Amino acid sequence: MARRVAITGCGVVTPAGCELELFWDSLMRGECMLKPLRTFAFRDFDSLIGGEVTLPDADFLPASIDTDRYRARCLELALAATRRAVAQAALPFDLAFRERTGAVIGTTLGEERQVGDLSDRWGTVGEGAIDAGFLARSDSHRLASVAAERYGLGGPVVLSAAACSSGNAAIATAYDLIQMGAADCMIAGAADTLVRSIYCGFFRMGALSKTVCRPYDKNRDGVSFGEGAGVLVLEDFESARKRGARIYAEVAGFGVSNDAHHITAPDPSGNGFMRAIKQALATTGTALEAVDYVSAHGTGTQYSDLCEVRALYAIFGERAKSIPMSSIKSMIGHTNGAASAIEAVACVMAMTHQAVPPTVNVTEQDPECVIDCVPGRGRAAKVGTCLNLSAGFGGFNACVVLRGVS
Amino acid sequence: MSTLSAPVAITGVGVLTPLGDTPDLVFSALCEGRTSLSPAAEYGGIGLAAIADFEATKYANVRNLRMYNRTTRLAICAAKLALTEARIDPATLPPEELGLLMASTYGHLDVLIEYDRSLVANGVQRTNGALMPLAIPSAPGAMVALAFGAKAFSMTLSDGGSSSLDAMGLAARWLADGRARACLVVSAFSASPDIVRVVSRAGMLAPTGAVHPFDVRGSGTGVGEAAVAFVLERSQDASARGAVSRGYVCGYGATFASRPGEHAGALQRAAKEALGSAGRSVDDLALVSAGASGVRALDSVEGRALSAVLGSRAAQVPVMAVKGALGETLDASGSLQVLAALVALEKRTVPPIVGLGEPEVQGLSYSTQQASAREGAALVTALSRDGACSAIVLSGAGREGAAR
Repeated sequence: MARRVAITGCGVVTPAGCELELFWDSLMRGECMLKPLRTFAFRDFDSLIGGEVTLPDADFLPASIDTDRYRARCLELALAATRRAVAQAALPFDLAFRERTGAVIGTTLGEERQVGDLSDRWGTVGEGAIDAGFLARSDSHRLASVAAERYGLGGPVVLSAAACSSGNAAIATAYDLIQMGAADCMIAGAADTLVRSIYCGFFRMGALSKTVCRPYDKNRDGVSFGEGAGVLVLEDFESARKRGARIYAEVAGFGVSNDAHHITAPDPSGNGFMRAIKQALATTGTALEAVDYVSAHGTGTQYSDLCEVRALYAIFGERAKSIPMSSIKSMIGHTNGAASAIEAVACVMAMTHQAVPPTVNVTEQDPECVIDCVPGRGRAAKVGTCLNLSAGFGGFNACVVLRGVS
Repeated sequence: MSTLSAPVAITGVGVLTPLGDTPDLVFSALCEGRTSLSPAAEYGGIGLAAIADFEATKYANVRNLRMYNRTTRLAICAAKLALTEARIDPATLPPEELGLLMASTYGHLDVLIEYDRSLVANGVQRTNGALMPLAIPSAPGAMVALAFGAKAFSMTLSDGGSSSLDAMGLAARWLADGRARACLVVSAFSASPDIVRVVSRAGMLAPTGAVHPFDVRGSGTGVGEAAVAFVLERSQDASARGAVSRGYVCGYGATFASRPGEHAGALQRAAKEALGSAGRSVDDLALVSAGASGVRALDSVEGRALSAVLGSRAAQVPVMAVKGALGETLDASGSLQVLAALVALEKRTVPPIVGLGEPEVQGLSYSTQQASAREGAALVTALSRDGACSAIVLSGAGREGAAR
């Protein structure tokens, strides 16, 4: 018999706050956290706009891991979100439990800043810039392995890389590892930070917003980036119930697909997105009318928003226009691989609070994107089942179904 | 205990190594005890084994091939060879039924280094913008999926030396769930100059270039280069279309331990998990394909773990290891071990461990010369530097095959 997978803990560190309730309240108020960046710059840009995380002092890494020279920002974010999720789940952490607990963390670029540091020094010292620790520091797997080390985990420890679908990919992988019986509990999430390669790449592609991102707006002009991490604690449902854990929601299952269309551009037909959503609905036995909220990928680029909406139209028909479907990227920016993990936490909060977060910065909705994007401010709503959508470079699409528990 | 709902058939294999570009060529070289490693003066004498005169267009006719880095080109070529052997193309399998799981931790790193270095030196306007989407960890896998129109899914696992075994375990699950009818599991590691420089500074390489797996002389490993691809299918789907199976993935286990003192216990648990999920015991094992690479501390851990797993059969089950001949290929290493085990099961022959003279951990039946093996299953083990352990159980295509 298939195991059910419970969500017993959530943690986020985002530009909208590093505690769940602060994060949620900020989203519901529709606060746009996209501002001129203070801690990240590149000489070719006068000013960069994005969403920065202000971590409490307690979340900074000790000098053994993080020195001024080799700042492990992505790891810092991943660990900070993990600490919050683990604390909320109140995991027992006896030896038997730890041996059956693992971690899957996703990322788009991980510790790209280590490469940035290398490039900065290359001009003066050449090959000598590569030191003995570079391989280990630039290895994204340590986002998962350091978290596992910190909590003494003995289960599978995996790094999932699926570009901007990495968060959903991590949740899906963790879900399957529990379903397979390879673990009873998994820490699942994703982290990414602001990096110059992404800013410069999107700038060159003309996909970087000149102001702030405006998903579904007629005049949307591209992505705004943010940094952050989202982590969920997933457990075998029955085991969680037996230990008396509070169960916030469950991961009902997921759907995946790949566009195989272009290196960066999505399949404009929305066919890839559609297949992921259909698979998610079919494998979880979710009826169309049961879907109460869609957490959109909604990056604010012309192509991506349109193909996502087309997929929704194709599946839900007229109802696509009335299902609340919002993009919190309009408030915290596109956090790349972390986005769908943070958005999964937002879905859990939506079910907990029976409310849906908004899409902000929409002044004139695109007539080709006629949906209920919950403009401006969040609102109360019945939320029992959520679809969490994501898409990434290379064309990997994922849809995770999250369900409330009574 | 984990379970794989049913064995998964391996119906296609593609391989590129310095020892050959077919499973039989590679295996023959292994049996002859040949090594592809030789001291590389330009990197201070470390052992290096690169594929000489690699020309991607010899293997695959794929659009934009020349703009991809060496890792991606190797991966695409291995995938093409595997699909050809499996007789899978868009005419025989709809693209929506083909998935891809890539094992790649470092496959993007040379592109990222080049791209970022150019941003610093030349500025954003004079840097090739097309490099950016190729500079992320998922890029090599995404390009393989794009090349062959794999539309079911495309995801990358970046778990270092455990990556390819983890990818095989997850592929088995996603196939069982019906998310695809066939899945390419691809892994590649390239000896590009930036990558060799990075690895050579990491303190894991033998200074003299001599690699001694499981040996008291182990002073480090050498840098290899390889790409391996497998086509996996549900057994019933493979049978239904008349595909020839090279063997079956029957079990998978993965564990972790951060403290070196706990690595042996974690690898032992992963191996037991894999055997349990395959419904097999050590009595069923015909051989073990180990990850030993010449890094003494890790090899010692693996030796002790295998001793504990095999128990009273430790002296009977032959243990083989390919890295003395092929070097450390990180993401591709688990796949190379799987490939060698598959051919060993097929030929009932175990190749010798190149470089092994005096084993550090006693009591195991190390394969020091080519020897025969009985019919049965194979256990494949991998241990990453950071403590991630994975294991796979394979069975051959013979009568044991998918029966259980």
